[in-house]
Amino acid sequence: MSLSDTTPPPGDRNDMPFWGRVATSPSYRRFSDAMLSSPGRQFAMLAVIPILWVLLTHLGPLLQMFRVSLLDAYPPTRDIAPQFTTEHYGLFFKDQLFFAPFMRTLVFSLSLTLITLVVVYPVAYFLARHVKRNNQLLFLMLLLIPFWAGEIIRSYAMMLMLGNNGAINLALRAVGLIDRPIPFMYTNFAVSFAIIYLTALYMLLPLYSALEKIPQSFSEAAADLGAGPLKRFWRVTLPLSLDGVASGCTLVFLISTGIYAVPVLFGGPSTTTFAETIAGFFHVAGDRWPTGAAFSIIMLITALTITMVFNRLIKMLQKEKHR
Amino acid sequence: MTRHTRLFMSMAYWGFAIYLFLPITIMIAMSFKDSKFIGFPIRSWTTDWYGQAIANGEFVSATGYSLLVAVVSTAISMVMGTWLAVLLARKSFWGRGVVFALTMLPAVVPGIISAISFRIYIRLIELDPGMVAIIFGHAVHNVPFVALVVGARLGTMPRSHTEAAQDLGADPLIAFLRVTVPYLKPAMVGGAVFSLLLSFDDFVRSFFLGSYEPTLPVLLFSKLRSGMSPEINAISTLVLIVTAILGLWAERSMRRMNKG
Repeated sequence: MSLSDTTPPPGDRNDMPFWGRVATSPSYRRFSDAMLSSPGRQFAMLAVIPILWVLLTHLGPLLQMFRVSLLDAYPPTRDIAPQFTTEHYGLFFKDQLFFAPFMRTLVFSLSLTLITLVVVYPVAYFLARHVKRNNQLLFLMLLLIPFWAGEIIRSYAMMLMLGNNGAINLALRAVGLIDRPIPFMYTNFAVSFAIIYLTALYMLLPLYSALEKIPQSFSEAAADLGAGPLKRFWRVTLPLSLDGVASGCTLVFLISTGIYAVPVLFGGPSTTTFAETIAGFFHVAGDRWPTGAAFSIIMLITALTITMVFNRLIKMLQKEKHR
Repeated sequence: MTRHTRLFMSMAYWGFAIYLFLPITIMIAMSFKDSKFIGFPIRSWTTDWYGQAIANGEFVSATGYSLLVAVVSTAISMVMGTWLAVLLARKSFWGRGVVFALTMLPAVVPGIISAISFRIYIRLIELDPGMVAIIFGHAVHNVPFVALVVGARLGTMPRSHTEAAQDLGADPLIAFLRVTVPYLKPAMVGGAVFSLLLSFDDFVRSFFLGSYEPTLPVLLFSKLRSGMSPEINAISTLVLIVTAILGLWAERSMRRMNKG
């Protein structure tokens, strides 16, 4: 049945509800006949705008960044057309000044991801397996409260912990462990401590939802078959939670490589991250933009490659266990 | 499970909770301290810093600016995120995998790289740094999150709903507006609050796309670089309370929806 079969006589239109009047109005009918009359046109109506959106705004900025990374100068100077060059990529491999922050960021992000996994796994496990179903949501939402305050406010709260007059130094002095404050700020320790504070919840949520799905009976069955607690965890729970491990680690790794505010606020000259290196090219005169763009591309490709290899490894591990 | 592991697990949970809450608790306590000097011990208490923070035009206008950016960018993210979710709900069409990957792209690009790529892109489309540029960056960044939340809800909707509407004479657009949208409403409310908070909290995109007028996180950042002040404690505490309430509410309504 099509719309035209149900069109009432014209005189009744004023008595119709809002949607009836919209659907029977001549201008809507013209639109509907033109755009929605065949499945092909309907699909075009549905698909064209969102596909243009993702191409122009999701992909476009990255493509343009790639293009700029291959130009000798950008934004272009008047009357001089930019030339194609790969020198900005060469600069990265030539100069130790840039390679050190790059490696530091990778090592930082990888080790922070591992630390976060080890710290958060027992928390997620406790939530999913030991808290009663009805209370789980409450316990989880309790942990989410600080998360909503945003990157800068949470960083600031962390500064109050780590400063020379901060809570940690105060506590250590109060119990007599130290007489002079330990200068935590502007060290690798401070940067790590603060980044974990920002990213821990991205590990918690995927781990919790993976662990929550594993039926309690699996582990009970393993126990009946004589497996000890350690073996049950290693052979049953951990393999079944690998999906959560994979997405949690991916999220935390990608976020930590891109954090800019924390190293600026907490770091010193010995903790320069690649995010700061990249940002540096955009604070100075515009002619360093192509270098910054090239370095961003290097960072992006490296980070995405690492996460893809990691996810592939997890997939292989899962297949291995199923055999 | 033995008693020892159980004890270890609950200690891990509460230890983690303390790690998360101690810093913000200290921040809240400092906002009531009656001294310009930030640090312990706290000898006397005051609420003056709140008065000063609210009377400070800088904070007020930055908050208003952040709110405006959040509302407008969320409106755009809601339309495009929902539209993409509806498109991706079609089981198979040529290039669906590519469209899905492109939809999720802004969510996996690390923050600094995302900000830099937008900074370069607005030069191409001849948009100056400023409010419109920030709104653009936030809108694009939030689309994947809206698409995920709305898509999850869409996946639970029985096909018969829209089929019934079309049998009764509604064309696909009317069926979408009168049947699908009401069904998606809880997800859309949750997605909108989530998107508002992401935009309101965002620092790195606002920092690189903004001109001289700062959003609230950018203002707080520049204040922190020049040193702490008790007003920062007060304004941060206010923001923490409002965002936590909104976030909890959105989280709760979304989890309820997924269960029910």
